[in-house]
Amino acid sequence: MKRALLVSLSLGLMSAAVAQKVEAPITIGVAVAQTSNVALLGQEQVIGARLAEKFFNATGGINGTPFKLVFQDTGGDEAGTINAFQNLINKDRVVGIVGPTLSQQAFSADPIADRAKVPVLGPSNTAKGIPQIGDFIARVSAPVAVVAPNAVKQALKLDPKIKKVAVLYAQNDAFSVSETGTFQETAKAQGLSVSTVQKFQTTDTDFTTQVTAVLGADVDLVIISGLAADGGNLVKQLRQLGYKGLIIGGNGLNTSNLFPVCGRDCDGILIAQAYSPALAGSVNQLFVKEYRNQYKKDPPQFAAQAYTGVQVMVEALRKIDKKKKLDTWNLADLRVELNKQILAGKYKTPLGDVSFDREGEVNQKDFYVAQIKMKDAKNGTFVFLK
Amino acid sequence: MELTQFIQNVLNGVSIGSVYAIFALGYTLIFSILGIINFAHGAVFTLGAYFTYTLAVGQFGINGLLKNVDLFPNGSPLGSSVPGFVLALLIGSVLAGLVGVVIERLAFRPLRSRGADPLLALVSSLGVALVLVNLIQYLVGAEIYSFPADVYGNLKPALVLHVGEKLVVIRTVQIIIFVVSMIMLIILGYLISRTKIGKALRAVAENPGTSSLLGISVDRYVLYTFFLSGFLGGLAGTLVATSFGIAGPYFGVTYGLKGLAVIVLGGLGSIPGAVVGGIVIGLAEAFVPAEYSAYKEAVAFALLFVILLVRPQGLLGRALVQKV
Amino acid sequence: MDFLQNYGFLIVTMIQQGLLGLSLYFPLMAGQLSLASPGFYALGGYIAAIMGTNAAFAPLRESLGSWIFPLEWLVAGVASAALGLIVGVPALRLRGIYLALATIAFVEILRVVALNLSVTGGAVGLFGVPQPFGFVDRWQYVWIFGPLLVLVLLFTARLERSRVGRAFRSLREDELAADAMGVPPTRYKVMAFVIGAVLAGIVGAMSAPFLNTWNARQGTFDASIAYLAYVLIGGSRNMWGPVLGGALLAALPEVLRPLQDWRLIINGLVLVVASLYLPQGLVGLFRRRRAAPLARPATQEVAK
Repeated sequence: MKRALLVSLSLGLMSAAVAQKVEAPITIGVAVAQTSNVALLGQEQVIGARLAEKFFNATGGINGTPFKLVFQDTGGDEAGTINAFQNLINKDRVVGIVGPTLSQQAFSADPIADRAKVPVLGPSNTAKGIPQIGDFIARVSAPVAVVAPNAVKQALKLDPKIKKVAVLYAQNDAFSVSETGTFQETAKAQGLSVSTVQKFQTTDTDFTTQVTAVLGADVDLVIISGLAADGGNLVKQLRQLGYKGLIIGGNGLNTSNLFPVCGRDCDGILIAQAYSPALAGSVNQLFVKEYRNQYKKDPPQFAAQAYTGVQVMVEALRKIDKKKKLDTWNLADLRVELNKQILAGKYKTPLGDVSFDREGEVNQKDFYVAQIKMKDAKNGTFVFLK
Repeated sequence: MELTQFIQNVLNGVSIGSVYAIFALGYTLIFSILGIINFAHGAVFTLGAYFTYTLAVGQFGINGLLKNVDLFPNGSPLGSSVPGFVLALLIGSVLAGLVGVVIERLAFRPLRSRGADPLLALVSSLGVALVLVNLIQYLVGAEIYSFPADVYGNLKPALVLHVGEKLVVIRTVQIIIFVVSMIMLIILGYLISRTKIGKALRAVAENPGTSSLLGISVDRYVLYTFFLSGFLGGLAGTLVATSFGIAGPYFGVTYGLKGLAVIVLGGLGSIPGAVVGGIVIGLAEAFVPAEYSAYKEAVAFALLFVILLVRPQGLLGRALVQKV
Repeated sequence: MDFLQNYGFLIVTMIQQGLLGLSLYFPLMAGQLSLASPGFYALGGYIAAIMGTNAAFAPLRESLGSWIFPLEWLVAGVASAALGLIVGVPALRLRGIYLALATIAFVEILRVVALNLSVTGGAVGLFGVPQPFGFVDRWQYVWIFGPLLVLVLLFTARLERSRVGRAFRSLREDELAADAMGVPPTRYKVMAFVIGAVLAGIVGAMSAPFLNTWNARQGTFDASIAYLAYVLIGGSRNMWGPVLGGALLAALPEVLRPLQDWRLIINGLVLVVASLYLPQGLVGLFRRRRAAPLARPATQEVAK
């Protein structure tokens, strides 16, 4: 153990370079949670990123030069993320980073990348305050506030008689906590009465207490903000214990990972989506086709967002390369230029048309509400609602 | 609180609590015979669920070494009927028991034969849990797997009872878990108190030195204990997975911490205590009023803290005698 | 320097984890297995994060400038001492594994409370924690954690040689005999517990700016067991044990990074192997075997 440490230390010393030139192939870093109990999300992001690598290299890479993705596992905690970022920035010498998975990890490691002047694109960070961390921090994951109200309006279209609403959310998930605020505001703005607000943890499996409280409140609509495993179990238990009304799922339930959990009981859930496999548009349809070919199902939102993150970086790099060949840049200058270019560009991605404001917040044009239609216990689709 | 609400809370408590109870049975068995806490129990619990899933469904996802593997393209023979599922369940649990045996040989026996500090066994079992959980992820990825909805046949999903004019509900799969944990408790109790094996286990628990002098092979009986604990863990894991799905390799590990509270509350080393502790904590969590639901997680540990101060031997444990 | 850029964060983390291992060592010196450190670590971190980001403290931040950081450490230490007394006095009546379980419960309760208060930022936590003394790079924190480690080691060395240290050792060897000889057990056990709590709290307060953010995930049961592993694998009888254990076990997952998918599997195996083959911990390997004091037999007496 000590010997390994000594070896790594001396290797580190030897790699002390002076003004680093950019080497081919261009490397882009991907720092997501490939292990730990957040790996369910991270592994989807890995798949999305790898698909992007394959596709964009197949279509010419960076104006003829291929690029490479370097993966460093962040694990589930903040220290691991900082380590992953530092490895990517200093050892792997990437031009930019796509990641990390959780907002809490972003709050920890993004300032480090920002101080090192390395651009970071968050694929799934949705907490308030992330793009404001620094000039080099941006994200492609829309803060959920935008999409939630549409789902409530759709529910009212489907059943105008809705009066009472139950709201449930995962209190240990940053994503769900901010989303539920928007849902509750929208419900009140639409004249509905929020009869009960129930909390749970993303690690919970048994929701009997919450469900019986919802049943007791005799509501017409249930709104859930959580993730796939917990959200799915909550829906299943709601249905099994006799709830017959409409269910709205927030952004975290926008994944086919829901299907194995609630099976046929997933049928009819309205989902507020920041990504839909049904979105027309050649870029998305190509992505969906590639994903379906390899994995036999529709791509989940996390994969699409990771794909978009890589795509944005590649397209920005292509623009820079046209102005001045990449291998004539030195690394530090290229990172700064990449950040500028990312923020300035407009992109056609699987998420639809995407651009960034000056702080790095994403401007996404298309949001969707879909309704789940289950074909059988395992397979279902998200059907667009107009 | 009105009657319906009260009865519903009781049903909820039993529903939640039986999951804790069935997890804790195998957990406390090791403590009762060997005096150590086996942190790998959560991993064995998880493995049992995965083993049974492999036998009953056998379809893996898009991540891990076994990605896209479909063992039974036409459906598993063991997954299409209730007796088939029960068979898969038993085989999966036996496999989990065997894993328990391997864990004992590799990670506990060297410490035991040296008379080492029991705390080292804690760290060792932690290492084993880390290895197993990550091995599962390496093989089949972190995605969610679940059993078909009809593994128990065409049971109605929930039992609806009329109390006066209102209804109370409980999911049938939770009733099954409760019943199985009771059956396991009775079987285990009978095993420990009425059979020769049980007598030997009790002797080993009381004093391994004397037992071995009396001709009881301590090593062999420790192996039986780990097999039994692993079997119970695997059984529990599968049953819980039929209720909630397998939410990834960490799905059992998250019960490990609350399981500690359960077995201490019930009485460290007491097997009925594991079930009682589980139900009590389940009831306590179910009766937390909605405004405080944020603190539900802490209820089990608040109870644990209080019981340690007031009655450290737990509800059903024997009073500790201070040895001078 | 490139080396510091590459490895600075890791080296400081190693020192930090060594310090957290030491926070477990103090109660252990008095024979108390306390796993409460993550709770005090989380508390200290929240104090620093709140004082650093909450608007209510803005005037204080303005007037004190960089001196707010030592103030944060002081407040964290005092708060940890207070909480340590409140929790320790009732809990330390318990022995062995029961004390350990009570401290585990304490950590978990604290975590749930932190998850739900708005002053702690709830699930997201607090972010944008300002950096002390204009630090920019992570390796610069070695100027904070390093001196703390040196001070704590010096303190521990003197403590071990002092009357208090001897009292601790007598409690560790045989609490009943020590009590009979006039060493008041509760007082010294609480003292050891509080010292460990204060250390963990101060480390927490220093760590919040180090990690840029703080949330309820910093003080969990997993951390308790990790610190226990530091002490057991490093060696529980000597103050260098927890430091060495903390430093190496913190570095292990990073050193194993090139192994990618196998990283955590190998990490787990190392834990198993180390606990199996290092009965005295790593420190035991380096020191010549002293004559071990007469150990109590692990099992009951055979003859009645």
